[in-house]
This record gives sequence, C-alpha cells and structure tokens, in this order.
Amino acid sequence: MFSYLRDLLYQSYVEFGYLPLFIEIALTFIIIAITSTISAYLVIITKRYRGYVKEKRLAHISPIVEAMITEQVLLNEDLEKNVPVENIEFDSNAISKPMYKRAWVRQILIDILIQYRKNFGGEVGFLLRKLYLDMNLQKDSFAKLKSFKWERKIKALSELTQLDIPISDATILPLTNSKNPSLRVAARNAYIQLSKNEPFKFFDIATEPLLPWDQLDMFRIITSTKEIAIPSFSRWVSYSNNKSVISFCLKLIAHYDQQTAIPAVMDLLSNRDHYFRADAINCLGKLSAEEAEGRLVKMYSNQPLNCQIEILKALGRIASGRHLDFLRHEFIYSTNFDARMNAARSIIKHNTEKSRTIVEELIKTVTSENQLILKHCNNPLIKY
Amino acid sequence: MFRIFWEYTSAFFEGFVFIYGVTLLSIYALLAILSFINIRKFVKKDSYVDYKVITSSPLAPGISVIAPAYNEGVTIINNVRSLLTLDYPNYEVIIINDGSTDDTLAQLVEEFSLVKVDFAYNVKIVSEPVRGVYASTNPAYAKLLIVDKVNGKSKADASNAGINAASFPYFLCTDVDCILHEQTLSRLVKPIMEEESKRVIATGATLRLANSCEIDKSVITKVRAPRQLLPRFQEMEYIRAFVLGKMGWSYMNAVPNVSGGLGLFDKEIVVRAGGYDPLAFGEDMELLLRMCRYMEVNKLPYAIRYIPVTLCWTEGPTTLKVFMRQTTRWGRGLVQLMYIHRMLFMNPRYKRIGLIVFPYNFFFEMLAPIIEFVGIIYYILLICFGLVNWPYAIILLIFVYTYSVMITTLAVLWDQLTFKYYKDWKDIIRICMMVFVELILYHPLIVIFALRGYLYFVTGRKHTWGNMQRRGFSQKQPAAATS
Repeated sequence: MFSYLRDLLYQSYVEFGYLPLFIEIALTFIIIAITSTISAYLVIITKRYRGYVKEKRLAHISPIVEAMITEQVLLNEDLEKNVPVENIEFDSNAISKPMYKRAWVRQILIDILIQYRKNFGGEVGFLLRKLYLDMNLQKDSFAKLKSFKWERKIKALSELTQLDIPISDATILPLTNSKNPSLRVAARNAYIQLSKNEPFKFFDIATEPLLPWDQLDMFRIITSTKEIAIPSFSRWVSYSNNKSVISFCLKLIAHYDQQTAIPAVMDLLSNRDHYFRADAINCLGKLSAEEAEGRLVKMYSNQPLNCQIEILKALGRIASGRHLDFLRHEFIYSTNFDARMNAARSIIKHNTEKSRTIVEELIKTVTSENQLILKHCNNPLIKY
Repeated sequence: MFRIFWEYTSAFFEGFVFIYGVTLLSIYALLAILSFINIRKFVKKDSYVDYKVITSSPLAPGISVIAPAYNEGVTIINNVRSLLTLDYPNYEVIIINDGSTDDTLAQLVEEFSLVKVDFAYNVKIVSEPVRGVYASTNPAYAKLLIVDKVNGKSKADASNAGINAASFPYFLCTDVDCILHEQTLSRLVKPIMEEESKRVIATGATLRLANSCEIDKSVITKVRAPRQLLPRFQEMEYIRAFVLGKMGWSYMNAVPNVSGGLGLFDKEIVVRAGGYDPLAFGEDMELLLRMCRYMEVNKLPYAIRYIPVTLCWTEGPTTLKVFMRQTTRWGRGLVQLMYIHRMLFMNPRYKRIGLIVFPYNFFFEMLAPIIEFVGIIYYILLICFGLVNWPYAIILLIFVYTYSVMITTLAVLWDQLTFKYYKDWKDIIRICMMVFVELILYHPLIVIFALRGYLYFVTGRKHTWGNMQRRGFSQKQPAAATS
C-alpha cells in the first residue's frame, strides 16, 4: 500500500504540470501540510529539550552562585565587624571567575541577587547591591534598557528597580508614555520607586491612559513603599487633562484621607462625564465629606442611576444624620431596586437612635418587598 | 432526467465542495497564524505580570462565581470547597441548587452550617421560583450563598437565578463539578481591566479534561493526558478549539462563543441582553450572540477576549452514550441558534457578528457535517457506478488527512508554547497519537451525532435533560492511609 502511495505521489510530481488544477492545489497543500507537521514536531522536541538543558544548567550553576553570595555577603566577616558597607571589599578571585563572564551565568547571578535582596534588607541588602555593582552587572541591565525589544527593557527596569540603581529622567520619562502598555506601566512603577524627589512627576506629562490593571500595581507600590513622599493628589485632580490619572488620584486621596482635597474633588461634581462624577462622589463618601452632603442631595434627582447609587452610598458613609429623611424617602418611593437597597443600607449604616427608629417604623409600614430589603440589609450573615 | 440530476450533482461536488473545502482549510490556516501571533503576544506580556498584586488589592473589582448544581451529591462538598479557595480578594460563591432530588442541599446545609436567610431576591431575569436562600453562620464561609430553586430543566435557568442573586458587576459562570485554577478570577478579569477603548463584555480561557489528572483536595496537582480513548480525543479537540480556534478569533475580536464551563461576563450587559435562554440548547453561545447584538444595536464598542491558559478542568464523558448525548445537544443547539438568529446572517448592521461570526458558523460549523455526510454518500455511489478516478481520489483523501493532521499538530505546538502542562513526554505522545487517528475514529462520531442533533431539531423531538453521571475525581490518597 505504501509503495502504491509513493509511486502515486512520485508520478504526480513528474506529471504535475499536466494535472487538473484542483489536484495541483491538493498536491501543493499536501507538501505544505507534511512539511509543517514535521517542523511542528521538531519544534516541540527542540523546545522541550532546550527547556531540559536550561533546567540542568540552572541546577548546576545556581548552587555555585548561591555559595559565592553566601560566602561574600551573608557570611562576610567585615559585616559582622560593623565595617561600613561602602568600605567592604569582596574577594576578587571569587567574584571574577571566568564563568561569571558568560552572559547566561551573569543573568542567573542577577536573578539570584534579586531573590536574595527581596529576602534581606538593611546592611545585607546594601551589600548585595554592592556586589551587583562591583561585578559590573549594572552594565548588563543598562545594555538591556537600550535594547529595541520592549520585553528586554522591562526586564532591565525590573532589575534596576529591585537593586535600587538610579536611572536618569531623560531615559525613563519617555518610557512612561510609551505606546506599549506593558513597558509604560513598568517604567511608571520604576519611576515611582527610583525617583527620590518627585516620584509622581510623570503624572504631569502622562498622555497615555493609566489602565485599571496598571493602577493595581501602582497602588500597591505607592502604598507599600516607605520612602515615598506622598504629595497632595488634589493637584492632578484640578489640573490634569488625563482622565485616568484623575480617577487614580481620587482613589489615592480616599486611601490617604486627604481632607484638603475635598474642594478639588467637589469641583468634579459638575463634570460632564457621569462615570467621573460617580468616582468623585465615591471619593467624597470615603472622605466622610460632610460639607458635600447638601450638594449631593441637591443634585441627586437629575443624575443617572450609577451616580444616584454612589450618592446614596456616600450618605451612608458620611452618616451625619442630616439626610436620614432623604434616605427614608428614597427607600420608600424609588422605583429602582438597587436604589432602595442602597438607601436601606445607608440608613442602617448610620447606627444611631434615630436611624434605628426609622428602620423599626419602616418595617411596620412598607411593602413586603421593602421589608425584605430591610431584613436583608440588617442580616449580618449576608456579606454582600 | 436522472442523467441531468447526476450531472448537476457531480458538478456540485467536484466544483463547489472543493472550493468549500479549500476555503475551510484556508480559514483554519488563517486561524493558526492569528492564534500564533496572539499567543506569542500573550506569553511575552504575561511573563511580566504578577497576579499576586490583585489578590491583596482593594481596587480589585467584585466577582460573583455562579455554579448551578443538579444532583451533584457525590462531589458537591469538595467542589464547593475548591471554589471557596480561589485566590481573589473580592468575590462570592453562589451555588444554585436546581431542585436536586438527591441530598445535595442537605449536605451543603450540614457541611457549611447554612441557615435560611431573608434575602432580597431581585428578579432581573426570569427563572423558575426560588424556594430559599441560605447563608453560613460560620464566618469562614461568609462568601458562600446557596440559592435553592425549583428545577428549571436547564443550566440556563439556574444560571439566571444566580445572576439575579449576584451582588457584583462581573460574574463567572462555571459548572459546579469543574476544578478551577486558583488564579482563575485574577487572570480572567485582567483583559477587562487592561482594555483601553472597548468594553470587554466577556472573557474565557482554555478548558481541559481532568479525567486522568492527579487531584488532591479538589486541586490539580499533576496534569495528565486522559488514559481513556474517548476523553483523550476530547482533550485534543479542546486544545484545538481553545488554543488555536478561539485565540485566532480573539485576535480578530470575533469570538463566537465563551464556554459554559468557564466564562467571566459583564453582568450589566448580560441583564440588558435578557440573560440565558432556558430553551436554548447552546445557551452559552446564544447568550454571547445576544450580548453582541445588544452592543451593536446600541453602537457600543465592545470586545470578547480569550486567554490561552488552562484555568478549568472538567470531567469528560467516558462512555459513548453520554458523549453522544452531549454532542447531539451541541449539534441541536447550533442549528437552533442559526434558526433563531437568522436575521443576523450577512447583515452589515451587526458588523463582525453578522458578517464574520454568523456566516462562519453557518457555513463551516453547521453545514460541514451535512456536506461531509452527503459527500460520503456521493462517493459510495461513484464507487458503485465505477466512476471513481482512484489516483485523484486518493490524492484528495491524502490532502484532507495531512491537512487535518497539520492543523491539530499546530494546535498541540501552540499549546506547548504557552505552558508545558504535560510534564511527562508520554502525555504529549499520547495526545500526538490521537492526531493521526482522529479523522478515522473520532471525527465520524462527531459528524453522526451532530446530524442526529439536527434531525432532532427538525423533527422537534422532546429533549430529555440527562445528567452527566459524574464519577467524581479520584483524590490523591494520603501516604498514611495507603500504608
């Protein structure tokens, strides 16, 4: 059978030009398919083999590198003698072995140094950084930063940030507005961590959006890095043209409870974008801005549903007690289920004598559906 | 008369069908290229993402995990525990007990210290009546909510009840027997949070079969290709459909379907589109189509995204009977969908959905089994009449065979490029072997069962909602227990 097929294909190859068009197409596709299939299998085999070799290499080199770091840094005698870190000298024979000149070994070295630095702070952390500099590993990182490939740039930014190596504004600031979202966010995060004086300077020049996903990492860095000088974010709320920057600043204002920003946030209540207004109302609620309550109640009736719900939530967070009647009214008369639910929650959230009396009165007088809403909101077992 | 008919039939099969076949194979080639681009882009980007950032962030959007359960008493406790251990800061788990006749609800009540609560259930989408809502008195299970409802005879109806009870703006729809990766929510919400200009209305990820995987306390500890033949064929089909097909469609922003087993949806759009249709046999695809229609009609820019990471493991049918029932239902669902939404066909008003997704599904998903079946009959007739040009016929068969082997091999390669799920070489060989016999052993079954589904639709045969007959996943035994 196979010899028949072989002869058939060979004959087709010899007479290719005389065959009908559809057979010619079919034969061409057969060749493409067989070649691609064989190539695909070769790639699978090669890729897995490379992975295997890489793992082997790593398993061989890692203990050597770790032993060197342990000897030179963790067990360094000068460190125990309280010699200042900048005066500690490493054993030049140990750190200048020929193997440390190979690019892939240097990369492993950088990766392991970063791992150690994540685990060790203080003097040991500084000494790890010194080892990185003394072995000229920063040259490798800066070379990556000049690469045309964005992924290498990100790798470089990550390395330099983790090892606290300053990067000039001229190099990093353009990257904070890169068209590539991954590079952009890496540069912004690096800038916040490395810039000692003005870590938020890039907010002034940010033309590209600060996407919600990027905000997660940036929020973590800002709120967990101790050395960052936190500015008043109302500055960008008032003057930035970038909506996503303003939206992010509103979250930071709420997190840092920047009461001085309340007037700037209140200015956003007249913004045309209702998503924006909702963010501003949410921020005012979290700031417990009593001075905003009156305006929020006044604007309530001509707002879209998302803003109305944020107003009801804000009144519950502020809980001054001055607008309980408004909340009661909305709970009874609103036709929207979510609005009634949030009004009920906000009344209960007040947790005052007056609010409790209102709830008791409502339970007796409202419809069965509204009674259920009140019971739902009052039930501690229902978390959301 | 017969001669004229025969001449037309011959012309049809020798001309149109060849063009049809070449077009279909060209589309597969295009999908292979686009999925490759998309996967490479994803892998590059993903290597710099730390998903742990979202797990402790107060900015993480809330997600409701909705999992309908019907007579899942064998596995329900382990499955719910698994759902409660997802690594995400802001989520709730809603199990809908769809009128189970076994002890599913009783087990849940006892295991998770549940009590009936006064829950303000808002009917945004119609479903069968809810009998009660249960919450836990144990703070450890504060995320858990059980909705007990009258059986609606479909997953769609139960899912709708779950959507009504959901508190968050996004919901994850899954099956209660599925095992989810701990980062499922973080990974699925990312495409929504990183889209610059469009509203991402749904995201999905790859599904795989858990049949032979090592499982410890409802967590996959070792991925293995299924040992049994039927699930292994399905695993291969899943890899091709998700990694190659959906990643290619995702690149064009024309994803036709987000699987019912795992999909994250924008609740507001789902509610506006009317929720799941309990009468639809392919309820997941039907919902997505309606969501797209809603977005197009309202001129709202939207996207549906897929990621090539396996986040969900499910138990595949191991018997031909169950497999037949599943495939027949899918076939019936597809033809029903084409019928219900026929006004979309080539309608420029609906843009991608009307001009790409719908026509592709009509010509190359729905018509394919019919054309294949009629083609085989035609072939048999040709053989009977001695009209076959054997050398050409064999060349055409080799063409179809080698091409289908190539496409599936590429899918396996793309899968290997994303993550090396199979640590063992033997597993890859097992999957690769299936590639060579699929066309002979598995594909005919798919064609026959799909046609069966079409026939049931045409004849209006009443559908019985058979259970999958879960066996439950075998758990890894602790060392002490085995010694």
